[in-house]
Amino acid sequence: MDTGTGNITAGIDIGSITAKAVLLRNGEIAGTCVRFTGYNAKNAGRAVFDELLKEAGIAKEHVSVVVSTGYGRKAVDFADKAITEITCHGAGAWFMDPEVRFVIDVGGQDSKVMRLDENGKVVDFAMNDKCAAGTGRFLEVMARAMEADLDDFGVLSLSGEPARISSICTVFAESEVISLIAAGASRENIVSGIHEAAASRISAMAKRVGVAVPVMMTGGVAKNRGMIVALENKLGVSLIVSSYAQVNGALGAALLASRMG
Amino acid sequence: MMNQYLETLDIFRGISENPYEYGKSIKEVAGKPVIGYFCTYAPEELIHAAGALPFRILGTTGAIERAESHLQSYCCALVRGGLEDALTGRLGFLDGAVFPHTCDSIQRLSDIWRLNAGFGIHIDAVLPVKLNAPSAHKYMADVLHKAVRDLEHALGKTITEEAIAASVSVYNRMRRSLLSLYSMIDRNPGVMAPDAMYHILRAVMVMEREDAASRLEALVRVLEENAAPAEKSDRKRILLAGGICSHPDICRILHESGADVVSDDLCTGLRYADGLIDETERPVEALAKRNLGRMVCPAKHLSVTARGENLFAEVTRKRVDGVIFLQLKFCDPHAFDYPYLKDRLHRENVASMLLEIDQQPPPEGQLRTRFETFVEML
Repeated sequence: MDTGTGNITAGIDIGSITAKAVLLRNGEIAGTCVRFTGYNAKNAGRAVFDELLKEAGIAKEHVSVVVSTGYGRKAVDFADKAITEITCHGAGAWFMDPEVRFVIDVGGQDSKVMRLDENGKVVDFAMNDKCAAGTGRFLEVMARAMEADLDDFGVLSLSGEPARISSICTVFAESEVISLIAAGASRENIVSGIHEAAASRISAMAKRVGVAVPVMMTGGVAKNRGMIVALENKLGVSLIVSSYAQVNGALGAALLASRMG
Repeated sequence: MMNQYLETLDIFRGISENPYEYGKSIKEVAGKPVIGYFCTYAPEELIHAAGALPFRILGTTGAIERAESHLQSYCCALVRGGLEDALTGRLGFLDGAVFPHTCDSIQRLSDIWRLNAGFGIHIDAVLPVKLNAPSAHKYMADVLHKAVRDLEHALGKTITEEAIAASVSVYNRMRRSLLSLYSMIDRNPGVMAPDAMYHILRAVMVMEREDAASRLEALVRVLEENAAPAEKSDRKRILLAGGICSHPDICRILHESGADVVSDDLCTGLRYADGLIDETERPVEALAKRNLGRMVCPAKHLSVTARGENLFAEVTRKRVDGVIFLQLKFCDPHAFDYPYLKDRLHRENVASMLLEIDQQPPPEGQLRTRFETFVEML
């Protein structure tokens, strides 16, 4: 059993699909955990924290500050403070690479872009507030329509020439995909077109805020190689993806917690 | 004190939340003609002088169905919603409407309204667009004189200069009190409930103006006599800029996110209150002068930089930490001004965020995230 020496803080990010938790000890990542949020954000927060502590072998009382974030941030009743996921993703990106000046966070329910100053502080941001297009959910719906496994979906897109998908509404885009299937378009081309459609929504939002390099992509969708490539093509810059991309919000929350202690 | 404040606020809030009930009661109980209008450049002092109630239309709270067959979906919710309520009879208590020449959509709405809404009274007030032209004052005064004649003809009565002067005086009383309330929220943003100011403004735009003026004066008095001094706080000070604040609840959510609205550049805000009318001049000429000198809206031209300079001056004057642009979806004049205004603020290191609003308020969860992020950013 770890005795929990040093300054230990935790960040808990309750997203629409997954709950993430990160432990920081003396400025270093001491553990991460991801699980499904389910319908009860409050329980998800407790469960992901307990699991993380167990895996890291750290006792709860040794964690000095807990910061919650994500859409369910207010439901984490044991957190010392709730901070929005936009601020946390900025901090998390800065932790991974202090040179980063722009973050694209694509989660399950929404996508966000933010420009950072040299301290990782958000100076401008935008959030998609129209529909599911350009979110993880859009890709999930499309993967289902294409009978593709979500993990292979992005890779599949890399081998195709993007088919044209003009609808910006997820439901209409799905029916467009079905029409493309009926018309005999290849699976790879359709999947590639789906990624391009989602990327063009996100890049338009990024350009409104003003892209500054280097750019980091975070959030669960950063695991999708096809989205990274499609976004790089749209923006004309390469994207940094850290191995902690999915837990980046929780990481930022843990970092901000360490500054509070 | 609290009781009098709360009672007065309840009256304003009740009318703001249910303006049509109020309009109907004025028509039925007071037997007064009710004339609708869509923007603050409408000559409402003249409507008032004609013995009618000027009634601001702010879109609909219901679903938009019938208006869709007359207007493109890329017209703003204010225009589509107003037409919807006219076509469905929700605005049946109106005797007619006055359409000032402002944005393209309002002008086209005037034609569609005249042909389809079936009200007896329909007046266009074709105001000058360039307010800095040498002929602008004469032009504006001529248009207002014509509006007097049009109203006289439509309502079958004479509007005397004395009646206009009396209306001017009522409007000045009302605007003076509104400006006092703005000074108070500047000094102490917590002096009233967070959503109070915009409920008050929405209410006074439809209320019997003498009643509105008296109630505002009473409210100012009560607050001045009893308001506790502002507590020191690290809460952020926000200015709202844009067209209409159709959802005063936004201010409550912003308040809960750690910031307070201390000023605005809104049509249902300071642009309505700004600019007292000179009571020593002949009233129509004085009204024309106010229209040229008040805070300008993007559908009018005062100078290339007037709106940006005015916005930045207000930001400085009120020690504003950040500006939130409340943009009604599909409102061209505001959308065209936005990039320049944002740049103007950016040059002075004033942070801003854009919030697009529609007929329905944005989902509260997302709104909170954006407001909280903005407050964290400041």
